[in-house]
Amino acid sequence: MWQQLRNRFGLPLTMAIVSLLGIWLIAMVLLPQWQMVDYSFHPSLLPAERGGVKDVWSLTNYATFFNNDIHLAIFFKTIWSSVLVTGLTLIVSYPLAYYLAKVATPGQAALCLLLLIIPFWINEILRTFAWYIIFAFRGPLNELLFALGLIDRPIRFLSGDLGVLVGMVYAYILFMVFPLYNAIESLDANQIRAARDLGAGWGRTHRRIVIPHAKPGIATGCIMTFMLAAGSYAVPALLGSPGSRWFTQIIYNWFFEGGDWNQGAAYAFLLLVLCIVFVTVIMRVFKVGLGDIAK
Amino acid sequence: MDGRVSLNQVAMRFGDFTAIQPTSLEIESGEFFSFLGPSGCGKTTLLNLISGFLTPSEGSVAIGGTDMTRVPVNRRPTAMIFQNLALFPLMSVYQNIEFGLEVRGIDRRERRRRADELLELVALVGSGDKPVVELSGGQKQRIAIARALAVEPRVLLLDEPLSALDLKLRQHMRTELKAIQRKTGITFIYITHDQGEALTMSDRVAVMSEGRIQQVADPMTLYRQPATDFVANFVGETNCFPGCVTVVAGEMVTLEAGLALPLIGRSSSPLKPGDEATLYVRPEQWQVGGINETHLPLLGVVRSEHFEGAWLTLEIALDQGPTVRAHVPHAGAGVGLDDQLAVGDVCRLDHSPHQAIVLPGAKVEASREEAVDVAATA
Repeated sequence: MWQQLRNRFGLPLTMAIVSLLGIWLIAMVLLPQWQMVDYSFHPSLLPAERGGVKDVWSLTNYATFFNNDIHLAIFFKTIWSSVLVTGLTLIVSYPLAYYLAKVATPGQAALCLLLLIIPFWINEILRTFAWYIIFAFRGPLNELLFALGLIDRPIRFLSGDLGVLVGMVYAYILFMVFPLYNAIESLDANQIRAARDLGAGWGRTHRRIVIPHAKPGIATGCIMTFMLAAGSYAVPALLGSPGSRWFTQIIYNWFFEGGDWNQGAAYAFLLLVLCIVFVTVIMRVFKVGLGDIAK
Repeated sequence: MDGRVSLNQVAMRFGDFTAIQPTSLEIESGEFFSFLGPSGCGKTTLLNLISGFLTPSEGSVAIGGTDMTRVPVNRRPTAMIFQNLALFPLMSVYQNIEFGLEVRGIDRRERRRRADELLELVALVGSGDKPVVELSGGQKQRIAIARALAVEPRVLLLDEPLSALDLKLRQHMRTELKAIQRKTGITFIYITHDQGEALTMSDRVAVMSEGRIQQVADPMTLYRQPATDFVANFVGETNCFPGCVTVVAGEMVTLEAGLALPLIGRSSSPLKPGDEATLYVRPEQWQVGGINETHLPLLGVVRSEHFEGAWLTLEIALDQGPTVRAHVPHAGAGVGLDDQLAVGDVCRLDHSPHQAIVLPGAKVEASREEAVDVAATA
């Protein structure tokens, strides 16, 4: 690796690149993470008490979490809802990605991708706020359903989980569509034709040929969507109700409302562990390695 | 099992481009039928129309007397062997062969029994559990055949399946494909741009050019009596002499082609004196010899000699005419007339008028090299 870089860029440039990468990794990733972990194992102290007798390693911050039924419930609800968001996004994205990769003409695919990407030029909070307006009690969606005669009184979309689910599927759809698209696109069209020719209907063709081929893409999309959903703050804050709080909101509260960074750090570390566990499980389930996902 | 395939005025257009001109054709049940043509002639489109991947813009396809217009690809009694074979890489040999049976809801034991039978047919017994990616090119070829035959198609469609193999294997697979076709009695429709494949395996061949079938005939007829200018040039090598008809005597036509002598050939088209026509002589139809003969022959100068193994190819510049190619037996064969011929020698050329074909029209521009003054050289 070092040798390849050196042959390509020469010694000075190679050293510059490698040291920049090193500084970035250490200063921006490793040190802050280490600081977080360190915080989480210490009690919250006044500045004057730091380094004193009270400043000892302890598991109190983690004990707080496991003794708080509400926080535990929200933690598991966040996992479950994120899994649901991931599943829904997969269901919505798969036909779209298949259409883009195998059905659409290049022109149609380009237009469709443009339509998908343009909303993402707008900030996530604004996009989420747009859904807030659409879902409002006297908003356009209620008006539309009312006009179509499907409902006789407005629905409170924003009081349950529905708003959060829809908002998240919309916010993270591209992170699912693109890995899926890349995976399906690389499938030889003759494979699909051969399956059809041998008598397979569309369902079986997808189940036996397309989906097995797209597995690494499905795994990548699921991992990204799950992590973004589990770590999301804006969507549940805007589209959620007090009954549909996200674990990130609890972390936010510890840091900025409670002022207890140590406690917040413990909660944040738990979320990180959760995500790592999820990634590992998905990789096991789909039987893919890190290399497949990086593709 | 009726494997007749009928095309009734089938045409295919993609926007402004006409891939297939209206075409009617009957392929017999149990026939080994080839479509031969250069790339872009529409032969693959035709295959896709029969298999159901494409729906014709006009006309209809019938298989076994049943109209296929409303029958989707997965319900047609056809199976295709793709150019790149399209074996399922994530599956084993068994899983590949059994795929079509699994789709049809056949139980596991029966599937395995049939897969084993097919593996025997393609001489790959015992490799059922291997992943297909571990097979060699020729083995993959056989598995593709077995997979297609597993669904017991009435018509097997083959889209240049041998083009990826090396020469030896390709020749071997030709024999094997033909044998499998005989054994199973299934209609084989074979697409190729390789005339060797088409001529050696087929019962009948359709030569295609620019979306049109030029001629449908058995290989021998195709070679000996090409119906069009395109067929004469595409199938086998030939020398063309465009010119003007001077005498017509029954089938025999005399043509003035700007050479020292008029040429005589056979024609099945109604030609009359004054018509433009082209005479074709295959390289092996020439008799080449020294000039110590008594009658008046065509004269030429040997420009080059190529040893081809079984024969010699001579390039001979005709007196005031084009350069022609002639295949002659070489000296070693003992019957060669060219024993004394070397590059630069003057020679005489003869052809049997009964073998030379005359077709109407003189579109072909023979590449005329500068006239050689034979007399001076002599």
